Amino acid sequence: MLAASPTTLSLFLALSACKGPAVLSGPPPVTDQTTMLLHAVTTEQNLIWIYNKAAVTYSGLAPVLDPLLAEHRAHLAQLRGRVIEPPGRRVPGAVTARPAIGATKAAALAQLRTAEQAAIATLMSRLDGASPSLAQLYASIAASESTHVTALTSEIGS
Amino acid sequence: MGANTPIAAMQAALAAEHAAVYGYGVTGAMLTGSGKSRAYADWRAHEIARDTLAAMIVKLGATPVAASAAYTLPFTVTGASSARRLAVVLEEGVTRAYLGLVAVNDSTLRTFAARAMQAPATRATAWRGSTVAFPGMPNPSE
Repeated sequence: MLAASPTTLSLFLALSACKGPAVLSGPPPVTDQTTMLLHAVTTEQNLIWIYNKAAVTYSGLAPVLDPLLAEHRAHLAQLRGRVIEPPGRRVPGAVTARPAIGATKAAALAQLRTAEQAAIATLMSRLDGASPSLAQLYASIAASESTHVTALTSEIGS
Repeated sequence: MGANTPIAAMQAALAAEHAAVYGYGVTGAMLTGSGKSRAYADWRAHEIARDTLAAMIVKLGATPVAASAAYTLPFTVTGASSARRLAVVLEEGVTRAYLGLVAVNDSTLRTFAARAMQAPATRATAWRGSTVAFPGMPNPSE
């Protein structure tokens, strides 16, 4: 047995005062910015799902919807690329909302427009607290989605 | 991306609005009918945006940048087609300038700029005839 000399005792006491090593503690909390980014990813996935569903249901809308859908896929890729996957948490890959598609083409277009408007409002609400570059990405995507609203409105009126 | 300080970013946006007001004079002169009407409406929108920005800058204690006496156009405008292309360039320039203002850390200015860039992005779409994925961003990965 090791005799407790004054030196080893002081070392023991000093080590006992230390907090446990990081590997024994839980994962660090996810920052607000990361949480907002993960929500933005989910929102974009939900938009893509509803666009896909509308395009399948009303194939005649493909010329209008396909370019907008491609832009949403680009948005999603950029958003996902900004996520540094937090420990213990995966970047969401699942759609969380699967609404029924409108019973007519016009209703489906109006539904997409409403979804775009909601996405814009959500992105705008995330500007505060985002890093400058992430805020610019949110703002650019919101501007893109505002052009989608105009395109969908024009199609509804045609 | 974008100017460093709020005032510098606002001045950059104002300079872009000045350029758009000038440029739409050229665009409108080359168009007729509905194109001319749209150019006039867009020109007025930029005048209003210009005045709004100038007032905001004054309120912050700075002197708004003045419009240049003349601007060098990015290409020669010879007819309706090039006039429409110029309108796209003008709107994209304004969109980009407001996106620079989004980078400031002032919450009110950031929100203002994010809202303000939606109108030129939409006008650019109308002149271009198609949407883009990332208005104001030359390369979103930058």
